[in-house]
Amino acid sequence: MKTGFLYEFGVIWTCAKKDIKVALTDRIFTILGLFLPMNVLILMSLFVLAGSYAPTAVVMGENGAYAQLFYNAMSQAHSFRLQQTSPAQAQALINAGKIVAVVTIPPDFDQQIRNDQPVQVDVEINNLNTDFTNDIRRAVPLSITSFYAKAFPNLVTVVPSEHDLYLHDTDYIPYLGVSILVIALMVGALLQSGLGSAREWEGETMKELLLSPASRWSIMLGKMLGAFLVSLGSVAIVLIVLILLLGVAPVHWAAMFGLTLLTLIIFIAAGTILGTLLKRHQPVLALTFGTSIPLFFLSGAFGPISFSTPAVQVLAQIFPVYYAIVVLQYAFHNFALNTYGITGNTLVLGGYAIALVVLAAIVLRRSTIAH
Amino acid sequence: MIKPLITPNQNITTESALPAIEMKHLTKVFGELHAVDDLSLEIRQCEIFGLLGPNGSGKTTTINMVSGLSKPTSGEIHVMGYNLRTNMRQVRQILGAVPQETALYEELSAWDNLDFHADLFGIPRQEKKRRITEMLELVQLLDRKDSRVSTFSGGMKRRLALGRALLHNPQLIYLDEPTLGVDVQSRRAIWDYIRQLREQCKSVLITTNYLEEAEALCDRIAILDHGKLIAMDTPDALKQKLGGSVIELETAEPSQIIKMLRAMPGVKKVVQDGNQLRLTTEAGSNVVPQIINAVVKEGEIRNIAVREPNLDEIFLSLTGTDLRD
Repeated sequence: MKTGFLYEFGVIWTCAKKDIKVALTDRIFTILGLFLPMNVLILMSLFVLAGSYAPTAVVMGENGAYAQLFYNAMSQAHSFRLQQTSPAQAQALINAGKIVAVVTIPPDFDQQIRNDQPVQVDVEINNLNTDFTNDIRRAVPLSITSFYAKAFPNLVTVVPSEHDLYLHDTDYIPYLGVSILVIALMVGALLQSGLGSAREWEGETMKELLLSPASRWSIMLGKMLGAFLVSLGSVAIVLIVLILLLGVAPVHWAAMFGLTLLTLIIFIAAGTILGTLLKRHQPVLALTFGTSIPLFFLSGAFGPISFSTPAVQVLAQIFPVYYAIVVLQYAFHNFALNTYGITGNTLVLGGYAIALVVLAAIVLRRSTIAH
Repeated sequence: MIKPLITPNQNITTESALPAIEMKHLTKVFGELHAVDDLSLEIRQCEIFGLLGPNGSGKTTTINMVSGLSKPTSGEIHVMGYNLRTNMRQVRQILGAVPQETALYEELSAWDNLDFHADLFGIPRQEKKRRITEMLELVQLLDRKDSRVSTFSGGMKRRLALGRALLHNPQLIYLDEPTLGVDVQSRRAIWDYIRQLREQCKSVLITTNYLEEAEALCDRIAILDHGKLIAMDTPDALKQKLGGSVIELETAEPSQIIKMLRAMPGVKKVVQDGNQLRLTTEAGSNVVPQIINAVVKEGEIRNIAVREPNLDEIFLSLTGTDLRD
């Protein structure tokens, strides 16, 4: 019989190979593991796409130069998804609940402006949703100011002088896409390793592992390696969609790969602990979904957590999801979302990885058969 | 047709003084439940030893402690001379296990299951293929080597689990309820494999609540109830302890003769079940002719059978209760 390091390395690879084989044989498991992170990506992207701009109908009472300039000001306000319609079409759309507002530019718009007379732009709002309603309430006056700044630059004497921290703006989708990558890594890895471990207990095959002369460290590392390698499939799919389809290319490629893998290790270890403790796949599923969504919202998925309240900031920094989002936002967009620097954040994540791997080994070591 | 084991245990060819398993004052407590209570027993090398008892008697807990799956609350276990607390890895190298649930990967093929086990036990690559083939041949599953285990019957799974347990050529094999839920044909086949293990001078520890199985296979039996050792001996000796023969007779009017039979010297116990009477005689007594004469005087004997006591009756006499499920 073999013993020593070579034997233990062999056990790690044997357990990993077996888990990969089992995962690929189990179709439901494969679909869950590979495509569920994709579903999260699609779902969140749809959520963002659906919620970005307020659909608004503009009724052009005339097409004079000033009216056109006002329309352009509105279209550049980053708040409207505009469409020009007739008054009847606009009314039909707002009654059907398909648009948030109807902005009517009156027929005498140009003439009144030229005569320096007040003009009333009618704004009808479907105030069903406060968020969209406030968007309209903010964006229409902003469009008027923009219009004046362009049409009569000498009248608008107060102008902003903007200095950007970054070379270019980052749109909502590219920012959120990175956060979605983290949540996809989390859900995929927790499911892959959590279900893999729970299945050993559910099917009582854990006995086969525990009765072998292999150390529990090797068994646990082997199981984690198996889950890690299978999860790479889902990571690849998510990255392809993010980079090639959504066009969110990383600034730092090497950091992106390294930090993605480090994040994956953390959640693989967390899933192994979850599966070993819960020993059943249903609670693993429930806990994975039950924790991932709140953590996603808590950890600065939509914007830097430093913009949030101090309580939320403290709470967010307890969980590795926060640091994963910070480092991957750096890798993709070169952002510095906190003051710890990329090294500090990476060290925190590394600490989580080591702690969770050790904890997984302890949990497995302390696990015994129920009888 | 059972094929012979191809890889005989070459380490042990004769019965050795060293016990295969030695348990001293073994106790396992779950909360307030004493699942195993101060159990001390020795299992010899080259013997098939049966742990017998109803569900919840502590058999599986004992076996889990012997294999290191569960830590004893107190007490000592030595396996082939190794102290289980300090030499767990050595013990696992020499232990082959067939757990109650078979613990097979249902999604994998029979071959893959054995291949995984071989790698876990560090069987060298050059030997692995040969030994897997031998074991699959032994348990007559070579023609199904590429089939998924999920497509196997209960009996086939048990046989595969047995083949897996023998793959690394262990000196001690434990089988937890080896024929639970298998058909009669598979049961007989499994019994034959187990008997072959004795020929190979392997030590076998079996838990079962099938008395017939314990009688058919075991050299010695320990009877457990509520975690305590009730009795331990060979099946024959245990029968002797219960008494002599059991006489079952059927008469038209059993109530007329029952009092007379109970008073008869050499008769230990008389139990009535309808028109049937079951008499337990004292060991060494030969009262059958007297019983027949006495019953014939009072009426007619419709049916009579004389047999040895079975382990059901031994269990009943030891614990005062039937074997419960």
